[in-house]
Amino acid sequence: MNYKPNESELMAYLYGELEGEAKMKVEQYLALHEDERRSLENLKSVSNLLGRVKDKEVIAPPIFIGDAKHYFWDVPYFKTIMSIAASLLLVMMVGYFMNARISMGGNEFKISFGKQQEVLPVIIPETKPTEASLTPDQVQEMINSSLANNNESFQSSFEASQQKLDASIRKTLAANSGNMDQLVRQASLASQAQISDYVSNIQAENMKMVKDYFQLTANDQKKYVEALLVDFSKYLQQQRNDDLQLVQTRLNSMEKNTNVFKQETEQILSSIITTVGNPTSTRGIKN
Amino acid sequence: MVDTLLDIAMMHADTLVIRAKQGDQPAQGKLVQLWYKRIYNYAYKFFLDHDLAMEVSQKTFISMCRNLPSLQDNGRFKSWLYTIAVNYCREEARKIKGSRAISFDKVWNPEAEESPQWESSRQRNENPERQLQQLELADILQEALLELSVEQREVVIMKEYEGLKFREIAEALNISENTVKSRMYYGLDGLKKILDRKNITKDTLGYEL
Repeated sequence: MNYKPNESELMAYLYGELEGEAKMKVEQYLALHEDERRSLENLKSVSNLLGRVKDKEVIAPPIFIGDAKHYFWDVPYFKTIMSIAASLLLVMMVGYFMNARISMGGNEFKISFGKQQEVLPVIIPETKPTEASLTPDQVQEMINSSLANNNESFQSSFEASQQKLDASIRKTLAANSGNMDQLVRQASLASQAQISDYVSNIQAENMKMVKDYFQLTANDQKKYVEALLVDFSKYLQQQRNDDLQLVQTRLNSMEKNTNVFKQETEQILSSIITTVGNPTSTRGIKN
Repeated sequence: MVDTLLDIAMMHADTLVIRAKQGDQPAQGKLVQLWYKRIYNYAYKFFLDHDLAMEVSQKTFISMCRNLPSLQDNGRFKSWLYTIAVNYCREEARKIKGSRAISFDKVWNPEAEESPQWESSRQRNENPERQLQQLELADILQEALLELSVEQREVVIMKEYEGLKFREIAEALNISENTVKSRMYYGLDGLKKILDRKNITKDTLGYEL
């Protein structure tokens, strides 16, 4: 009999999950093979030993299940993508407000903020290659000729301006002298009679004016003096009245005083008389 | 008794799954109540860490409630749920591997001796000495489990503690049934070697207990 059960069959047999023919086969095999049977028994004893470990008692905690719906925005990929998009948007907004510019062109990559400053291109004047055909003498000649030309034109323009200046001076002089002559001529034309008339007119006007002035002032002075005299007389009158009143009051007070004095002297006299008349009574009282 | 009640509840699980799939929140809540302990214990045995197990369980059930409508075959609910749990366990395991930090509790834990594990013992009426031995044995076995590779550990826990059939484990891990069985074989074999190294055999245990 070549049959030898494998580990799977042995396990199935050990845990009673083998049935029918297969089970019989294993049983027969084990009956014939003592060592195999013993090793299986050992395994069984291990299994029995394990059975001695009891379950731990535990109380199930309440488990609350919330909304189990999974929305697409709960997916981590979506969140990651959204957060990247949000940060990019933020960067773009900051860039927009800070006037950021990124440009690339011709071997340069620029990131700039703020107002753009125009860079003026530096123009390097092209140096034309001097023509080798011109000799120094020719150049000298050219310079000379141009100098001569310059001198000529300068001379001509100077002369022209000189002439213009002279002409204008002469013109203004002529005009001024003409005006002067006319004025002198007009003054000489005035006659002697006209002058005397004019002077007499002025004298008459002056006389009249002085007369009027004196008349007016005389009137004013008269009025003023009259008013002054009236005021003064009034004042004097007032003063006299006041003085009279004062004298009157003084006299009255003097009269009063003399009366009082009289009374006092009478009283004193009467008291002296009474004391002199009754000396005994006073002595009697003393004793 | 508890197991039978649980079985009855599991029987109704199919209708519960149908209702939960239609968005019935109480049905979803019941499913959580029904399966939380299983998933927690799976994760606990996988990590031997309460916090990680709670984390994985909660994530598993949140995922379950969200993805229930996409479950095609209601009969595969169990393996489907374990698939979610397995994936979260692997994710957490990768995180632990990636981070160099070690939990402070693991480095130094003076309160370990007075941990509530002792007080909240299930078998109160049993002999305390026996309880202690049971706990020690459980610790040793769980540590031995942790020494297995992730693939073997997954299969062993599912088979030994979660009581899944090989077919269901294959569905949950999306591998062939034969691969599951061979992983189970090598897993048990590996565990035996580890326990031998720790000098825990049937004989020594028989003597102690």
